[in-house]
Amino acid sequence: MIWLVMVMTGIFTFGTRFVMLTGWVARGLPKWLIDALGFVPIAVLTAIIVPAVLIDPATEQIIVTHNARLYAAIIATIVALLTRNVIATISSGLATLWVLQWWL
Amino acid sequence: MTDAPAQRTATAEFWLGVRHELPLQLGVIPFGLVFGILGLASGLTSLQTILLSSILFGGASQVVFAQLWAAGVPPLIVGGSVSVVNLRHVLYSASMAQYLAHLPLRWRILLGYLLTDEAYAVSIKRFQDGPKTRYQHYHLLGSGMTLWVAWQISTLVGVIAGTTIPESWSLSFAIPLTFIALVAPSIRRRADLVACVVAAVLSLICQPLPWKSWIIISALGGIAAGWMTHYHTSKNTPTDKNPRPR
Repeated sequence: MIWLVMVMTGIFTFGTRFVMLTGWVARGLPKWLIDALGFVPIAVLTAIIVPAVLIDPATEQIIVTHNARLYAAIIATIVALLTRNVIATISSGLATLWVLQWWL
Repeated sequence: MTDAPAQRTATAEFWLGVRHELPLQLGVIPFGLVFGILGLASGLTSLQTILLSSILFGGASQVVFAQLWAAGVPPLIVGGSVSVVNLRHVLYSASMAQYLAHLPLRWRILLGYLLTDEAYAVSIKRFQDGPKTRYQHYHLLGSGMTLWVAWQISTLVGVIAGTTIPESWSLSFAIPLTFIALVAPSIRRRADLVACVVAAVLSLICQPLPWKSWIIISALGGIAAGWMTHYHTSKNTPTDKNPRPR
């Protein structure tokens, strides 16, 4: 079953990359659709980030205080806004997490 | 790209694509490593983890796939959630069409498969700013193949090394950190912020819903909220038509 799902989603994903190269959609996409698709990365990635930061994997509850991942995420967000650099963001976030986990 | 001759050879275009794509691998390789580790941790086999990187070939969607599959989510919800994550590629495909539409089918299939965020980013720049040449599509072949090779190798290394890296390193946290690096600088308009906040709130309050359906619900909710805000703002301020510079 897992192989079927992998292949089906793979085909769909290829479809999203290939569809406009087929020439079937001659006039291009309508403006409202282009506008809507422009929000996909922000909405999808935020939906992955926020629970990964705030939900405690053990208890499945939201934790705000004494949450090292939250502080690491805040530092990483500041670094991301200041530097716009992926490596700087990942390393500052991981470094903050390690420091908080090991020394506090 | 400034000192470019009017007609480059196919090989020159290919290597230019490779050269433009290489710096981005600094962000791609750690992500691939972490995905390799995460795939195994989610209960996928080594083969499944490795092949997911070539079948789906999209970092965020592979992470969602592994997490949902590990949680025992019904296949249809897995497929639906992964598909929503990958919908953005339609935009890349649409904006590439004018440069690739004349190519033979086998070329369009190959370049479509290689059309990822990172390859799109460098090659669309070359198509828009560089000279129009007969072999310019080789640029996308170069950037796309560079990313493909880096992604496959880093996934493979992650799968091999995965078992030796202690859990306490919290390396899987590199995934949300990578996404923070992508999302934070991309929030430029009020509508972007609304999409972000709505997706964030929904992703928390929808946690109790079955099948991890919070992923697809908060994604669609965020898109809808952003789009409605955008529509509302642009209707009220018709003079502000120029997109903001990046």
